[in-house]
Amino acid sequence: MKKKVLAVLMTSVMAASVLVGCGGSAAPAAEAPAAEAAEEAPAEEEAPAEEAAEEPAAEVAAPAGDVDYEPCTIKFDWWGGDSRHEATQKAVEAFEAKYPGIEVEVNFGAWTDWETARALEYQAGNGSDVTQIGSNWIPDYDGDGKTFIDLNTVSDVLDLTQFNASDLEKCLDPVGQQAGVPISMTGRIFYWNKTTFDKAGIDYPKTIDELIEAGKTFQEVLGDEYYPLELGEYDRALFMSFYMQAKKGEPIILEDGTLNVTEEELADGLAFIQSLEDNHVIPTIATLAGDGNVTLNENPKFIDGRYAGVFEWDSAPLKYTSNIAEGQELVVGEELDFGEAVKGSSAKVSMAFAICASSQHPHEAAMLIQYLLNDPEGIMIMASERGVPASKIGFDTLNDAGQIDPLIAAAHEGVYAADPMFFSPRFDNGELKGDGAAYIDVFSGLSYGDYTVEDAASILFDAYSNVCE
Amino acid sequence: MKKNKFLKENMGFLFIIPWLIGFLVFKAYPFASSLFYSFTDFHLFKGMSTFTLQNYLDVFQKPLELKALVVTFKYAFMTVPLKLVAALFIAYILNFKIKGVNFFRTAYYIPSILGGSVAIAVLWRALFKDDGLINGLLAIFHIPAVHFMSDPNWALFIICLLRVWQFGSAMVIFLAALKGVSVDLYEAASIDGAGKWRQFFSITVPLITPVIFYNLITQLVQAFQEFNGPFIITAGGPRNATTLMSLLIYNNAFKNYKMGKASAQAWVLFVILMAFTALSFWSQKHWVYYADEDGR
Repeated sequence: MKKKVLAVLMTSVMAASVLVGCGGSAAPAAEAPAAEAAEEAPAEEEAPAEEAAEEPAAEVAAPAGDVDYEPCTIKFDWWGGDSRHEATQKAVEAFEAKYPGIEVEVNFGAWTDWETARALEYQAGNGSDVTQIGSNWIPDYDGDGKTFIDLNTVSDVLDLTQFNASDLEKCLDPVGQQAGVPISMTGRIFYWNKTTFDKAGIDYPKTIDELIEAGKTFQEVLGDEYYPLELGEYDRALFMSFYMQAKKGEPIILEDGTLNVTEEELADGLAFIQSLEDNHVIPTIATLAGDGNVTLNENPKFIDGRYAGVFEWDSAPLKYTSNIAEGQELVVGEELDFGEAVKGSSAKVSMAFAICASSQHPHEAAMLIQYLLNDPEGIMIMASERGVPASKIGFDTLNDAGQIDPLIAAAHEGVYAADPMFFSPRFDNGELKGDGAAYIDVFSGLSYGDYTVEDAASILFDAYSNVCE
Repeated sequence: MKKNKFLKENMGFLFIIPWLIGFLVFKAYPFASSLFYSFTDFHLFKGMSTFTLQNYLDVFQKPLELKALVVTFKYAFMTVPLKLVAALFIAYILNFKIKGVNFFRTAYYIPSILGGSVAIAVLWRALFKDDGLINGLLAIFHIPAVHFMSDPNWALFIICLLRVWQFGSAMVIFLAALKGVSVDLYEAASIDGAGKWRQFFSITVPLITPVIFYNLITQLVQAFQEFNGPFIITAGGPRNATTLMSLLIYNNAFKNYKMGKASAQAWVLFVILMAFTALSFWSQKHWVYYADEDGR
């Protein structure tokens, strides 16, 4: 009898342990990067969110300034590179020191597959309290306004008056709530390897004609392996939009989501992109694949100057300057002149902070955002790691202290000097931009010769129509 | 008394409850729900609006999906035979009493452990990119460079090669089987004048057919489910030449959030796998020799 009782007990214990194991295995798996982050930041103390949720909500402490808050643990996630990770972790530590009792669990990593993981968390109602989002995430994941909270509800601690109304408007969700607060605005601009251009004996291009001429000069003077510019599939889509917008004088997707381009105009744009390949301005997609499918900043041909031009966001030049070979100099160019009345460039919200609707501590989450974007202490620690701040106080603080990286500042100035147009988040919709989606299919198909310009235009027009309907 | 009897009769059931719960929650429910979703247009963020067979029709009609299906078949039919032959060949050699055999057994098994990791992806790119090591070697012999990563025909080959290179686990199983073949049989054959090749094909191969069959099934299942290689090395490119069904399912489910479509593709893959497995089991009566009383 004793043996049977023991057996039943053992079974129960085993069942319980398996179930506990099941429950536990999901959480650490989802938070693995956070654990890695904690390893890199030993000063941080970990406190499970579940514990925080069970803490009594009545306690209020106000040791710092005049802000009331509850001791709690909030989660914060972001993507980026090493320097952004380091700066943000330091800012989080400083925030925790300033507001004792609030602990911040961090979860960060590289961009690859980051969006997929976060999107699934949002869908599961398990998103972080504070989450860094891309500009297209609001329409894509918060279509019903239920994924992120309306930040107006926490405007008592988050000072939204520090942001331009037009910038804030770009972070409204489809039901009109303030789903995000812009961290920085950004646009694409050109960076040129001055060393290679000097070697070719020409100045870097300022007009499209000069760019095409540079392609020929590079081939003749430096050889077949040298190109004045490198463009992947998504880069081609963006550059083509600049070309079409310059010709039309209007964005190709309007602010109300209407598609503002015809199939014929797309065919013209695609022919323009193809002409860049034909004139040795950009390498073919096959050449880029042959380079080993690496990102441009890791491509030896960029590092040693054989690919001498980069078309990149104004917030992201540092990953190129940090990788480029010694003796090579990368300089900011300007938006190319297509010979039209406008340059056709566009700018968008680079990234934003949002608070997930599942957050148990939106007030404290808003305090963290306020600290990172509007508190001079947090602003100085974060510096320009996420581009030039959209917050007025953020910009003034860094500008006065000379803390904005000169290359980023110059690039940002270049983008806004060209009077950028509206950049629709729909342009980045997963159906267009994702793996196996329209941009990759159309531009690689055109480059490989699988599609004619007309075929490609038809496919792209259908894809645009789908996301703009 | 009744209680004791109940416990006695159901003790086994109690013991398997943990497994049963895990099975129901993590296997049976997702299995059934994916079948349901496969007949819908379920989108993770847009929800579900209609029941349809279109997801299944698309697999055989849409160019991208049809291509993924063809590429998956090509991949499986290239890797499985090559891997089995490579594993058996190396196992056969390592079955001889040669000096340092344990080192070689370990060395050949290591690729199986490394698998399709990011480090291996970096290695593969370094080997096969246009100015990589392989083309460097070819240049020494004045052979023109091969565009392994950008030529759709070659790209699938390097993905296959990665899988074939990981023959270690199949090799270990073959090695165990080879050790089980009686030496007496070889001695008798040798006395009768049979050479090494004859011994291999007339004694070794027939006696290890159950293990060949086992490896065939497991490798077939692995090949149809291959994901890591194309995901980390070529991302399905160029021109979808390495987009296998598993990668297409992943892209649809977790990049485009089209869960209904992805579920249908997963079910098509499942049915294909089941069909090939059933075919293999049916075929074994013609070529697999079991040393039981009735040879089965």
